[in-house]
Amino acid sequence: MRKTSFMRPIAAAAALLAAGAAAAEDKPESLNLGVFTFMSGGPAAYGMPGRQGAEVMIDMINAEGGVAGVPVSATYVDEAQGAEGVISEYRRLSEDPAYGFMIAALSSGNCLALAPIADQLNMPTIGWNCDTHQLYLGNDYQFFYRPNGNTIAEFMAYALYFLDKNPDVSRVAIINPDYSFGHDAAEIVKATLKAVKPEVEIVAELFPKLGSSTFQTEISRLSAARPDVIFSNMWGGDLENFIRQAAPRGLFRTSVGVFALGESALQSVDVPEGSIVGVLGDGYWMSPDAQEIGLAAPFAEAYRAKFDADPVFPSVKMANAFLVMKAAYEKAIADNNVEWPSKEQLAAAMEGMSTTTMTGEMTFREDNDGVVDQLVGTVAKVDGKLVMTDMARYDGETMLPPLGEDPIAWIGSLTPEFLAAMPKPGSYE
Amino acid sequence: MRALPLILAAGLALLALAPLAAPYLQFVLTVAVAKGFAALGVALLLRAGLISLGHAMFFAVGAYAAAFLAQAVGINDFLLLLPFAVAVSALAGLLVGAFLVRYRAIFFAMLNLAVSMVAYALASKLYSITGGTDGLRIDVPTLMGMSLEKAQFDQALYYISLVLLAVVGWLVHRYLKSPLGQALAAVHTNEVRLEYLGVSAWSTLLAAYTISAALAGIGGAIAAVAIGHVLPEYAFWTESGHLVLTAVLGGIAGIAGPFVGSIFLELIHTVAVGYAAEAWNLIVGVALLAVIFFLPRGLFGLIESAAGVKDHRGETEL
Repeated sequence: MRKTSFMRPIAAAAALLAAGAAAAEDKPESLNLGVFTFMSGGPAAYGMPGRQGAEVMIDMINAEGGVAGVPVSATYVDEAQGAEGVISEYRRLSEDPAYGFMIAALSSGNCLALAPIADQLNMPTIGWNCDTHQLYLGNDYQFFYRPNGNTIAEFMAYALYFLDKNPDVSRVAIINPDYSFGHDAAEIVKATLKAVKPEVEIVAELFPKLGSSTFQTEISRLSAARPDVIFSNMWGGDLENFIRQAAPRGLFRTSVGVFALGESALQSVDVPEGSIVGVLGDGYWMSPDAQEIGLAAPFAEAYRAKFDADPVFPSVKMANAFLVMKAAYEKAIADNNVEWPSKEQLAAAMEGMSTTTMTGEMTFREDNDGVVDQLVGTVAKVDGKLVMTDMARYDGETMLPPLGEDPIAWIGSLTPEFLAAMPKPGSYE
Repeated sequence: MRALPLILAAGLALLALAPLAAPYLQFVLTVAVAKGFAALGVALLLRAGLISLGHAMFFAVGAYAAAFLAQAVGINDFLLLLPFAVAVSALAGLLVGAFLVRYRAIFFAMLNLAVSMVAYALASKLYSITGGTDGLRIDVPTLMGMSLEKAQFDQALYYISLVLLAVVGWLVHRYLKSPLGQALAAVHTNEVRLEYLGVSAWSTLLAAYTISAALAGIGGAIAAVAIGHVLPEYAFWTESGHLVLTAVLGGIAGIAGPFVGSIFLELIHTVAVGYAAEAWNLIVGVALLAVIFFLPRGLFGLIESAAGVKDHRGETEL
């Protein structure tokens, strides 16, 4: 890692040279993108709304004349084929000069694998969903940007929200899917509770297999543990199954459910009212900021017209990734005063870039991680529809560990005063 | 018979030239050759009539061994990674094999499956060591101390893999012609007689099992540095099934079979994913059925008929 500090100027010089050489790049007929998401298997429940978000956003961008006058088209790649398939597709598309930009990927494992390859192939890439905080730990990437926040901010926000919402919570249970995402989230929630409210007891920590069809054993154990709060970052079919099986057994009459990815299930399952749900990041299309910005309403309308459903936050995340990409092109064109930017100019333009997405402000930090606010709310029925109410919007900057610091150690250094200074549930209207 | 070596040499030359025509094929072919090594390992055991449904484990062991040496120990030269990975997977094969080669038929298949799933579970759950399901990264290794750009390294890796393919392929061919290799087929046809002849079926199989694990280890090490990332999925049972399928599809009558099968599968996969992102599973499946129905000796059967090989005596039947 030492090497990077003196490599920086060299890389910058190389970029400048490349910029000079590429200044005469002509506008292509169309801007081709590779878009990576899950389109088969269980994770498609989350991946397909992402793809649908991309389709709607492409239509919207093209209806307005495309990116700097160039229409956008996308090739979709299924992440269910495993890492080597994903990587070979990424390479195949990147080595084809017709492709200018990649939006990849959903899975954190795939982002970890693709980020170094993006640098090797000089391919500007946006991670549209993957949120592991491991991605930029000790790595300095030039071409891989992630505009959607990381697991630290996301899961800390939930812990803070439910502590504020239920001040006398003393027993917390965790049930997360059994892979890195679930285990990371458990670590973050536990570390946050320990720092800001040490007297809270973790009464159960369960990691059912991803894609399980039954959670009856876990539900029995949760019932026996009598938690005040049940935290979960299950998603897709798992989350729906868990809620469907736990609700009839009265689990949510005695415990408050906290479903970190719950917004994506509100349309498909009866999430008990009073449960705490949210989106990862700020991607709630009905949030006050989204309404003020004004892009979300036409997006949702077009989405509904095309797919007969409201967008969920994976769709919004994908749409935001497209907006960030568009902003990068516009900034690179303006920065370099060119017709069309080279890949190096694009990557350089994203360094430290700020832009307004459909649902809020996004700024890239020095490590290429996007700073976005975190949105958490409580489920309530409004006009027969389950929506998020009593929301809190946590400032993205304050929820991220300073650059280069070990995230879990940083959470450990927080104090109860940190919680007191946070916005309260219901403060975001 | 003379035609066969010529056809194989031509095939190898074609492989060496392919990246010049289509550069992105280089990566696909590198991974195909890597998996071909593992499939060759499976094919060895198939000759003894044993189906291993867990061979992806040794592929993963090789890959993780390379990743550990590179990231945890800090020795990241491909010419050290490869022998280390092969040694570790051969050792794993020796240990696991010592227990498993006592079993036959479905018991052998299922016990391999069970052990490989234990390895999969360990790889995905020992977070602090293996990085869990997010896996481990491998930086671009050096080559005999020379640090190369990724593109140059990939090119070198591809041609090293082809050389390995030729050398290791020839060695395995010699092994199969040796008494130790011939005894493999005898285990399948008449194990009792083999024992009466004073040859231990257990040690014959253990040698084959260790060699097959080492072959998978070669593949794992190549795949790990080509992909640059190691994931527990490598050991998952679907990967093991894929290897058996590759071996059968390519044909187990010759060394080239598993490699032909692997290259065929990877190419079909690449084309299917590129042209029908949503139906690639279906296309791969249909292609497999077509080969199984129309080429009962696998793709290698095509090569044999082109070379005029008609004598199939003394060969293992599946």
